Amino acid sequence: MMTKKSKRICTVIALAALAGVIFCIGEFTSTSSMLRTVLQLGSIYALVAVSMNLLNGFTGLFSLGQAGFMAVGAYTFAVLTIPVAYKPGVYYLYGVADALAGVSLPNWAGLLLAGVLASLFAAVIGAPVLRLKSDYFAIATLGFAEIVRIVVASSPLNRVTNGSLGLNSVPGYGSYYTPFFVVFICIAIMVMLMRSSYGRAFKAIREDEIAAEAMGINLAKHKQMAFVISSFFAGIGGALMAMYLRAITPTTFPVLLTYNILLIVVIGGMGSITGSVIAAFLVTAAKEWWLRFLDVPMVIGGFQVPLLRTGFRMVVFSIILMLVVLFWRRGIMGQNEFSWDGLCRLLRGERRKKRPGSKNSVGGGAVNG
Amino acid sequence: MAKDMRENVLRLSDVTMQFGGVVAVNNLNMEVNRGEIVGLIGPNGAGKTTVFNVITGVYAPTNGAVALNEKTILENFPQGKMKTMYKGENAGKYGKVQLLSPDKITKMGVARTFQNIRLFKELSVFENVLIAKHMNIKANVFSATFMLNHREEKQMQEETMELLKLLDLEKNKDDVATSLPYGKQRHLEIARALATKPQLLLLDEPAAGMNPQESDDLMHFIGSIRDDFSLSILMIEHHMQVVMGVCERIYVLDYGALIAEGTPSEVQNNPKVIEAYLGVD
Amino acid sequence: MSITVFLQYCLAGISIGGIYALIAIGYTMVYGILRLINFAHGDIFMMSAYFMIFAMVNFMIPWYISAVIVIVSTVALGVIIEKVAYKPLRNAPRMSIMISAIGVSYLLQNLATYLFSALPKPYPDIPVLNKTIYLGEVSTSLVTFITPIITIAAVAGLLALLKYTKIGMAMRAVAKDFETAQLMGIKINSVISMTFVIGCSLAAVGSMLYFTPRPSVFPLAGSLPGLKCFVAAVFGGIGSIPGAVLGGFIIGLSETFIKAAGYSEFSDVFTFILLIVVLMFKPTGLFGENMTEKV
Repeated sequence: MMTKKSKRICTVIALAALAGVIFCIGEFTSTSSMLRTVLQLGSIYALVAVSMNLLNGFTGLFSLGQAGFMAVGAYTFAVLTIPVAYKPGVYYLYGVADALAGVSLPNWAGLLLAGVLASLFAAVIGAPVLRLKSDYFAIATLGFAEIVRIVVASSPLNRVTNGSLGLNSVPGYGSYYTPFFVVFICIAIMVMLMRSSYGRAFKAIREDEIAAEAMGINLAKHKQMAFVISSFFAGIGGALMAMYLRAITPTTFPVLLTYNILLIVVIGGMGSITGSVIAAFLVTAAKEWWLRFLDVPMVIGGFQVPLLRTGFRMVVFSIILMLVVLFWRRGIMGQNEFSWDGLCRLLRGERRKKRPGSKNSVGGGAVNG
Repeated sequence: MAKDMRENVLRLSDVTMQFGGVVAVNNLNMEVNRGEIVGLIGPNGAGKTTVFNVITGVYAPTNGAVALNEKTILENFPQGKMKTMYKGENAGKYGKVQLLSPDKITKMGVARTFQNIRLFKELSVFENVLIAKHMNIKANVFSATFMLNHREEKQMQEETMELLKLLDLEKNKDDVATSLPYGKQRHLEIARALATKPQLLLLDEPAAGMNPQESDDLMHFIGSIRDDFSLSILMIEHHMQVVMGVCERIYVLDYGALIAEGTPSEVQNNPKVIEAYLGVD
Repeated sequence: MSITVFLQYCLAGISIGGIYALIAIGYTMVYGILRLINFAHGDIFMMSAYFMIFAMVNFMIPWYISAVIVIVSTVALGVIIEKVAYKPLRNAPRMSIMISAIGVSYLLQNLATYLFSALPKPYPDIPVLNKTIYLGEVSTSLVTFITPIITIAAVAGLLALLKYTKIGMAMRAVAKDFETAQLMGIKINSVISMTFVIGCSLAAVGSMLYFTPRPSVFPLAGSLPGLKCFVAAVFGGIGSIPGAVLGGFIIGLSETFIKAAGYSEFSDVFTFILLIVVLMFKPTGLFGENMTEKV
C-alpha cells in the first residue's frame, strides 16, 4: 500500500504526462488528423457519459433524456454566440428575433448559460417526473428529449432556433486545448461531488431507496439535485458539441445519441467515472477510427472479403455492444474507480477477496484483480 | 423508577392499518417511555413490522395517531375508497390528516433497523454508517463538493469510526457490506441506525439468525447502548430469551390486535399469549 | 369542416389508430409478462417492412404469399431476439434487460442501414390494396378501410385465445405472478415465446398495413411509430390489451385531427405530452392496476 504522499506525487506525474500527450498531439499532428478528432470528440463524449453516469450509475435513476439536455445546451450556446455579423446570413429564411439580433456573447458565457438553461429545464420537469417508477421514469425522460427535439424545430421558434434549417456559423474552439480544459474541470467537479457527503447520499439512493429514506435522506430533494447537476453538465457537453461541429440542426441530438452514451456508460461500468472516461475514448476511437476498415471493401490474395462495405463498422460495433451487455455487464471498471493501490495490485497479479469500498484517496477503490 | 413518572416518548393511539380488505394492524394502543426497552412480540404475520412501518412513515395509517414526545406527528382517518371499506374501530375519532415522509421522522429522532436487513450492499461498511450522518449535514451541495466543509466531514468520519469500534466492525471498515457474515451485517444495521443520533430506536428482529452466545451478547449490548446513548428502545423479536431478558414491558400482537401487555413474567403466564404462541427457542 | 371531410378524417384516424393498436399490443404483452419495455419492437416493425420488400421485389412473390412469409420471418426475428438478448438476462436487475433491449434496437437500426442502405427503399405497391374506394361520399383507399376491421378481428381473436385456450390461461397466470406460475409447472419459456409470437405477428400485420399506403421504408422508420405505440400502451394501462387498443385508437385519432387542424408539426409533441400527463396523473393508465411494494 503506497503512502498518501507517494500517491499524490504519482497523480501529479500522471496528470502532467496526460497534459504532455495532449500537448504533443496538438503540436505535432495536423489539424485534421484522426487522433485529434478522437481526442476532441472523445472528451465531449466523456463529459456527457460521466454526467449520465452520475444519474444512472450513481443515483440509480435510469434516464434516457441526455440528448434532450444536450440539445438545450447546444442551442442555447449557438443562439447566443453566433457573431452578430453572420446572423442575417444564418437566419436568411425567417429573420432573427429582434431580441437576439445584436446579441453575441463570448464563448465562456455561452458555455455557462448552456449548462444553466439545461439545468433549469431539468428543474422544471424534474419535480413531476422523478416521482415515477424506474421504467416509467426512463420513458418520461425519453419523451421529454423527443419533445425538445420537436419543439426546437417547430415554426413558432423559427426566429430563434431557425427551425429545421438549424444554426451554422457557430464559433469553434478558441484553441485546441479548449475542450480538454472544459471537460477536465467539469469531470473534476463531478468527481469531487461524488466524494462528498451528497455523492454518498446519491449512492445510498441507488443501493436502497427505502433504507436511504430511513436514514434521513430526503429522496425527492436529492434525486432532483442529481438530475439538475447531471443536466447542467450534459448541457455544457451539448454546447461543446456545437462548437465542435460548428453547426447544429434538430436532428443532431436524436434518441440514438442517448443510446450511444448509455452504451458507453455500460461498457465503462455503471458507477465508475474512470470507466466512463476510458470507455468514451475507446468507443470513439473504435467507431471513428479503428473499425473504419470494415467499411471499405478489402481484397486479400485476389479474393474479395465478404461483408465489408459501408455500414459494416456500425454493425460490428453494435454486436460488440450486445456482447458487453450480455456477458460483461460490469463493464471495464464495474463500480470501481482508478486508484494507485488498485493498479499496483493489478500489476502484481494479486487478487483480493474483499473489494474495498470508496476511500478518501485519489478516486477510490480497487480494480478487481 | 415507576412507569408513570417517566415521560412518554412514543404513543400510538387507535392505530389501524388496512390494506385493501385486509386489516394488518387493528386499533393498537401502545406507548414507550423514556429510557425503556419495550418488546413487541407475536406470531409471524401478526403485523409487527407493519407497526414499525407506520411509526416510521413508510405507510400512512388508515386510522389513528402517533405521537412523539407528546406531540402528534402522524394522524389520519379513513378517506376515499377506504371510507366504505374500513373495517376497524374508532372511525370517527380522528379528524386531521398529518403525514410525514420517513426521512422527516428519522430527523425527529426515530431510527430503525429492518427485518430483512437493508444495507447499502455494494458500499463499504464505513460508508454505510457514514451515509447515516448525511441527514444532519449543514453544508450545502456546493460547499460539500468544493470541500469547504472539511471540518464537518472530519467530524462525521470520526463519529463513524467510533460507532464501528463500538460494534466491533472496525477491522471490516473497508469491506463491502454484503461480504460480512450475517451476524456482523446485523451489527452494521444497528450501527447505521445509531449514527442518526436517535432518541427512539426501533429494532426489527435484531437477534435473528444468532446463536445463543451471540444473542446473549446482543442482550447486554442493547442494555448498554440504551444507557450510553440515552435511548428508548422498541424491539420486535422472536428469540424469547432476548425478549424476556432485556425488555421491561412487552406488547403481544396476534392477527394485528393487541392480546396482552405487561411485564415479561405477566406475559409469559398469560393464557391468551400461550395459546396464540409462545416462541420456540 | 363538412361532414364528409370529418368522416374522412375519422376513418383515417381509426385506420392509423388501428395500426398503432396492433403494435401497442406487442409492447403491452411483453411488459405484462417480462416487465420489460421492448425498445426493439418498433425496429422489428421496421425490419418486417424490409422483409416484405425483399419477398415481393427481390423474389417476385405475389403479395398474398409474401404476407405469410413476412409474418413468419418477423416472428422468427422476434423469437430469436428473445432467446438471445432477453432470456439470459431474466434474473438480472431490471436495468440490464432494458439496456439489452436498447442494444437490440441499436443493432437492428445499424443492421438495416448496412443491409439496405440508409436511403429510403421503395415499398412495393399492391394495386388491389391501394385502390380508391367510395363509401357514400367518403373516398379512401381499400387498405385504409380494412385496417380497423383487421385490427378488431385480430384483437378479438387474441382475447379469445387468452380466455379460452390453455396457453392463454398460462399467459394470464404468468402476467399476474411470474414466480408462482413457474412453481405451478407452467412452462415459462413457451409462454414467453408465445407472447413474442403474437406480438410480432401483429407487428408484421401492422407493418404491412402501415407501409402499403406509403412510398418507402428507411432504417429509422420504426423509431417514432414505435415510441408512439409505446405511449399508446402506457396510456391504456401497460399490461392491459384492451387498454393498448384503446390507447392506439385515441392517439391515432388525435394525431389525425391535430394534423387536420393545421398543426401537423405538433401532432407528435401532443403524443409525448399525453405520455407525460398520463405518467404524472395516472401512471397505471386507463385500465392498469396499482401495485404496492412490501417493505
